[in-house]
Amino acid sequence: MNSKREYQYIGKSEYNVNATAKATGRAKYCSDMQLPGMLYAKVKRSPYPHARIVSIDTSQAEQLPGVKAVIVGDEKTCPARFGAGVADEYVLARNKVRYVGDPVAAVAAESEQIAQEAVDLIEVEYEELPAVFDGEAAFKRNPPAVLHEDLKRYQTLRSVPPQFDENRPNVFNYFRIRRNNAEDGFKAADYVFENRFETAMIHHVQMESHCGVAMVDDSGRLTVWGTSSKPYGMHRDISESRGLPSSAVRIIIPAHVGGGFGGREPKAEQIAASLALAQKGYPKRPVKMKFTREEHLSTTTTRAHYIVDIKTGVNKDGTIVANQMRLMLVGGAYAGTGYLTARNAAFGPAANYRIENFSLDAYGVYTNQRMAGAYRGFGNAESLWGMESQMDIIAETLNMDPLEFRLKNCIDEGDLNAFEEVMHSVGGKACLRAAAEAIEWGKETKAAEPHLKRGKGIALGNKYSIAPTASAAIVKVHPDGLVELRTSTVDLGQGSSTIFCQMIAEEFKIPVSRVRVLNPDTDITPFDLGTASSRSTFNMGNAIRKACLDAKRQLFELAAKELEANKDDLETANSKVFVKGSPDRSLEIKDLFIPMVIGGYTLKEGAEIIGKATYYLPGVIPDPETGASEKPASFYMFVAQAAEVEVDTQTGKIRIVKIATANDCGKAINPMQVEGQQEGGVLSMGIGSTLMEEVITDNGVMLNPQLADYKIPTTLDCPDLANYKSAIIETAHRDGPWGAKGIGEGTMVCSAPAIANAIYDAIGIRFHDIPITPEKVLKALKEKNS
Amino acid sequence: METLDLTINGEAVEALIDPATTLQQFLHDDLGMTGTKEGCGAGLCGCCTVMVDGMAVKSCLVLALQVRGKTVQTIEGLAPEEILDPVQQAFIENGAIQCGYCSAGMIMSSKAYLQENPHPSESQVRHALSGNLCRCTGYHKIVKAVLSAGEK
Repeated sequence: MNSKREYQYIGKSEYNVNATAKATGRAKYCSDMQLPGMLYAKVKRSPYPHARIVSIDTSQAEQLPGVKAVIVGDEKTCPARFGAGVADEYVLARNKVRYVGDPVAAVAAESEQIAQEAVDLIEVEYEELPAVFDGEAAFKRNPPAVLHEDLKRYQTLRSVPPQFDENRPNVFNYFRIRRNNAEDGFKAADYVFENRFETAMIHHVQMESHCGVAMVDDSGRLTVWGTSSKPYGMHRDISESRGLPSSAVRIIIPAHVGGGFGGREPKAEQIAASLALAQKGYPKRPVKMKFTREEHLSTTTTRAHYIVDIKTGVNKDGTIVANQMRLMLVGGAYAGTGYLTARNAAFGPAANYRIENFSLDAYGVYTNQRMAGAYRGFGNAESLWGMESQMDIIAETLNMDPLEFRLKNCIDEGDLNAFEEVMHSVGGKACLRAAAEAIEWGKETKAAEPHLKRGKGIALGNKYSIAPTASAAIVKVHPDGLVELRTSTVDLGQGSSTIFCQMIAEEFKIPVSRVRVLNPDTDITPFDLGTASSRSTFNMGNAIRKACLDAKRQLFELAAKELEANKDDLETANSKVFVKGSPDRSLEIKDLFIPMVIGGYTLKEGAEIIGKATYYLPGVIPDPETGASEKPASFYMFVAQAAEVEVDTQTGKIRIVKIATANDCGKAINPMQVEGQQEGGVLSMGIGSTLMEEVITDNGVMLNPQLADYKIPTTLDCPDLANYKSAIIETAHRDGPWGAKGIGEGTMVCSAPAIANAIYDAIGIRFHDIPITPEKVLKALKEKNS
Repeated sequence: METLDLTINGEAVEALIDPATTLQQFLHDDLGMTGTKEGCGAGLCGCCTVMVDGMAVKSCLVLALQVRGKTVQTIEGLAPEEILDPVQQAFIENGAIQCGYCSAGMIMSSKAYLQENPHPSESQVRHALSGNLCRCTGYHKIVKAVLSAGEK
């Protein structure tokens, strides 16, 4: 494969191209934006989880000096609903509120303080309605509350349509897989195991909270800056929710955004846009809406509470013969990206092992919480939490080593997954071996004190990347030889700009410093599905490669005339074009441009050297009845993680003694950045979601909406440098740029089961829900010993 | 409004401010020194860390008027002549920066600590940085970077 070849820039740990701007404090984020005459926004939010809006009185707020606009959810401000797959949401609630924090009104004023005072002066009369928080209750045929009475009449996405459930009014998506016959498989199996596993609601805790700045220019056109990871998704949401034609809206994402991890639905941007438009007369002043940390933690998208039921049949020899699952995303009041998460949580279990008989029902269910949706792993950390805990339960009963049991069943190149898709580029077994070796699997280590118990655990995971999908790239060769990329991929910190520069540097044989990436701007940068699903390296990478070829074709056509050579015989390096094998027959790129009187440069024809390309991967939408598809995803990233833990039986505290991850990313374009993704996935989000993090609510009110109460790992919660190991496994993908797939989302999909399996090994207690807090450990130890 | 005199990154600054302004707001909003980020406004994340008379301080917890007459150093003052501070250099070279929103505060905390203890152990670095949150990196390369800066 081509991964064996030597490259100049691909596979090299180039420094992040944005690191200097960030290290020196020069990097500007949306939160840093200040425009002349800018107003500040605040939101009035519902205190009830479910209520009818009887009346809203904004008269006092409007009279407060310094207030420039007050909006409520009416026909003028919120003419249409929007949503990723189900158009179920207005920018401001109309008629009823569905969660604590649902926005009902907003104010733009001269200062944040005035805006807040005005918000406090808005009087809203509500009539409370019964609310539902429990997933099983909401799932019922006659639930205690129906969130969207008109759900069946809502608009849905044509390309990947959600399926509703005729009999269950709160189900916003229902997806199923039927491969062969699971029931027959259970009958034939030597053992059948049935268990339920759950995960708590958690939050992304990006360090930059959500922020939007909106401005209406003198032609009436709306420009919105934001922190969204999907500029074109935000573009659609903002134009559709106002009934504006798409060309009437411009979306700009600054070059730097303070973290994403899936949770960047453009809520703040929507409010800012509404307030910019709502001002009477001209000039309309720009409006900034930055969510406070509390607003960010208590009202923006979460990773859902998940209920995973799993039934598995195995033979004595350790062959998995049947697997049946019911996955329930206990969602919020609006589906958001959760409509797709609910479906795609099925992909991890569908592709981990070779299983002849596979049946799965996946649901997304409305409850009166805020929206739950995309979060690193997109439902698969939750579904695999169930599957990979189950695998250890099985291995123990069969008296098999958990590693051997997984190796025996792990899916491989050419195997069929549950969609009956032929698997390609499968690094699962290599990951398992590497992770096991990194923690000295099978070797017992002793704790210093008798009340400290040690154990080891392992887990296997995979993360698909979305299909259908598309990315477009534009590459411009400047007269001075600098090559500029126009892409709508958002660099949220994952380092996309850096690897794109490396790709272009490789194609043009120029230093990385001679490439620049423009920030996403829907007037300038072409379509991209979004910075999600670990799809950028693969999809945008392919688009960039194709765009480079297009630009080089133009470059060579122009140079061929000057060099009196065949264009097919030309090459470029170091901003020169030369004849292959005759480097003396060359010209500088700048020599193709003619300096003009008065100033500037021109080409004789073609205006500019601009390469452009789309990488479109249509995939095959799974059959609605069986889930069958020969191409339901772009590719699969594999991962295995292994942990050694120490449980303090006196305090219940769990210490990660060692933790290791091995990730199959196809090809590491930048190994240092791949490591960075692995570290963040395992050490911050993996450990956090397994041992610490939970959004705690009471009647829909978040009780821990500050970083003092919603704890994420600090330096002291992560193991020392020597006790964390990572391995990069490169199983090249035939369609990937330089064989590359992706990395980000695969990094935490099996952290929880690896750690929980180690806890079981240490103290013999199987935890069925995360986070596994010291309180839970102590309680379980007490129950076990009584 | 109140008058405020102080030194920021070696320059004397005089301003008329609302007494309720925090140091973070004064630097970020009034002076446009946007390197000092607001992460939580409650002293819980460390994104807004600056040095006041050489000590690491969370600038969202301090009123600007409380630093009257004092010397404040922000991230912008760490590399005034385009020559990066060894801590900044170490963060870049070790890949310790991802989204970058915590980086300025992280670097200022590290700098303040290394001035006090130039050759720290890993455990000392972890304790010194435990008040600075980062969601991207798992702190692994940050700790590495600070240790490598400490070796120089």
